[in-house]
Amino acid sequence: MSDPGPVVMGDMPSLSKLYVNAAATAARRRLLGTDLGTALPESSHEVRGVKVDVEKLTAYQHLIGEPATDVLPAGFIHALAFPVAMSVMNRDDFPLPLLGMIHLRNSVEQRRAISFAEPLDITASAMNLRGHRSGTQLDMVAEVRSGKGDDVLWRGVSTYLAKGVFLPGIDKQSAHKAAADFRPPNPTALWQLGVDTGRAYAAVSGDFNPIHLSALSAKALGMRRSIAHGMYLAARALADVGAVKGEAFNWEVSFEAPVFLPARVALDITTVQADGGAWERSDYVAWSPKAGRKHFTGSVTVR
Amino acid sequence: MSETGREESFVQPTQGIQRQLRKAVVVGGNRIPFARTGGAYTKSSNQDMLTAALDGLIARFGLQDERIGEVAAGAVLKHSRDFNLTREAVLGSPLAAETPAYDVQQACATGLETVLGLANKIKLGQIDSAIAGGVDSASDAPIAVSEGLREVLLDLNRVKTLPQRLKVLSKLRPKDLAPDAPNTGEPRTGLSMGEHQALTTAQWKITREAQDELAYNSHRNLAAAYDAGFFDDLITPYRGLTRDSNLRPDTSLEKLATLKPVFGKSLGSEATMTAGNSTPLTDGASTVLLASEEWADAHDLPKLAAVIDGEAAAVDFVHGKDGLLMAPVFAVPRLLARNGLTLDDFDFFEIHEAFAGTVLSTLAAWENDEFGRSRLGLEGALGVVDRSKLNVNGSSLAAGHPFAATGGRIVASLAKMLHARGHVDGRPARGLVSICAAGGQGVVAILESH
Repeated sequence: MSDPGPVVMGDMPSLSKLYVNAAATAARRRLLGTDLGTALPESSHEVRGVKVDVEKLTAYQHLIGEPATDVLPAGFIHALAFPVAMSVMNRDDFPLPLLGMIHLRNSVEQRRAISFAEPLDITASAMNLRGHRSGTQLDMVAEVRSGKGDDVLWRGVSTYLAKGVFLPGIDKQSAHKAAADFRPPNPTALWQLGVDTGRAYAAVSGDFNPIHLSALSAKALGMRRSIAHGMYLAARALADVGAVKGEAFNWEVSFEAPVFLPARVALDITTVQADGGAWERSDYVAWSPKAGRKHFTGSVTVR
Repeated sequence: MSETGREESFVQPTQGIQRQLRKAVVVGGNRIPFARTGGAYTKSSNQDMLTAALDGLIARFGLQDERIGEVAAGAVLKHSRDFNLTREAVLGSPLAAETPAYDVQQACATGLETVLGLANKIKLGQIDSAIAGGVDSASDAPIAVSEGLREVLLDLNRVKTLPQRLKVLSKLRPKDLAPDAPNTGEPRTGLSMGEHQALTTAQWKITREAQDELAYNSHRNLAAAYDAGFFDDLITPYRGLTRDSNLRPDTSLEKLATLKPVFGKSLGSEATMTAGNSTPLTDGASTVLLASEEWADAHDLPKLAAVIDGEAAAVDFVHGKDGLLMAPVFAVPRLLARNGLTLDDFDFFEIHEAFAGTVLSTLAAWENDEFGRSRLGLEGALGVVDRSKLNVNGSSLAAGHPFAATGGRIVASLAKMLHARGHVDGRPARGLVSICAAGGQGVVAILESH
């Protein structure tokens, strides 16, 4: 398979237009029964010289609880790269319906600190189309480079599931191993998430997916209430880990049950130290104190 | 004790442990550039800026994961949610989470007071290292609900039934919905700081030309200090700003002379205070690393200057006996007497430029024979400050003045200047810091090169 090279986009794609387009595409495909194909688009999309709006950065840092330094939080970079990834998923040759996809996992390598003043080149591509016990999953890979060099400074892999979509030729993954009984530990934090949590994160991240905005808009897409953005929750856990993580780290999260708003979410962070006391990793788990159900787990690890 | 007298000094321990006082040294400092209100830091909170200044200090001196003895800082314009402002900034920084912190508030003297308080703890052997600091944002200032609305909201919380609630709500008047914004007015006089200083400026017959010249020198000196790289190891850029945004390197006496007076316009005499010779509202933060000699040596860090002594004073400005910003005029003679020094024994004077008129009124009072005799209890005038030693790398008129951050700016810069000067006539180079504050207060200090 030859690399067709990236599709360089003149400007950062607009997320709101992408969502509207995704809805239109979904309607068209339903009407026309278009054959979606079974392969991911080979092209990656790229936006060059992306500049960060410092006011948006500050608003993000305030909402998530990150110190408002000049360094871009890893989750902010995810939000920055998200429209580029969305534009790939919006392509006509993208085989899965974009709307209604579920974010299963996210994995970020923060290879060095990135200052808000650096113009960034952001590339996104779709990879690893594969089966899942309840549908089809794939990885959206985003890479961020400084406009001045070739080194990847930040790399994010977001794994999404198209539930109930089974493509011919792609095997179902064998049944999920039974989840072990979860016994909630003593929490280190308790978050009170209001009904406006989704709107507040949408305002700083630009991700106005209707399932996060209000009960009404979420119901239109088949949810019983609006849910918190997964990356909002994961970013808050990352912020709670704090400055101990340093400037280069790996950050993982696996999403389990969605957080319906409003909600109380309990969080536990466990710090693992190397011999000699240096920080090695922080593992986190979040659950519903009412239902005792796990919402997400993850880790931040030294690089 | 008379108002002009000295404190009886030196508590003599009669029994128990008697410890030798040790030295407290300034290792270095870090601040973010100061920004005019509504500029680069419009959306930045006090906690943001203090954390940014702290981060730069930690990076400069390799303090990651270090447990510092104590961190003290403060803000003058402070949100009630920021009750633990300094501790929160520490928790957001790479310092060890086991570093204790507390907030200080003494108006514009906050920053210098944190330096003196922490230096005293180091001298006493209570702590080995400390970070002093201050921050202020006039852009992100707290706005309170009106007193009427506040009372109704609190009452509403106390009642249980709907009829009771409606009764409480019926007390609300339309005017109660107007918010209460902070201002620089003195609560007891209703006069703004500028109007107070205008009275003092007129009383000491300070001319417009003299004020403009002081402002001009402040800009010229600060610009030259930047050009010489003086601030390279004192400032970390923040939010795209690398220099104080109020600095006007190209200003001139002619330009300053064209500005219209803004304070003292209702006085009988000529109004002389303009936006050019008064400090603008500013956002910013500063930090200073203090330590015992042993701690600095063990961490292989520099020892720029020693914090020798400090003195606070206050004046009765409410009934016009003295000007609002004239307390340092009384603090300095007491500090000098306690240390057996005169104004001639100093190589640098850092007199905070709240207004050019403040500095010039202070100098005029010290040069005045009659004032020295009747008010300072001296045999004559305190003395003359050699203008060539005054604010040589610029001061607040050019840099701006984020209230609580000014003390840290001055101490870090002065410590560096003293260290560079080394010794003068066989003694350590010596500097005097003088900072006036709202409420008729002032804090002054002596530093010596190490």
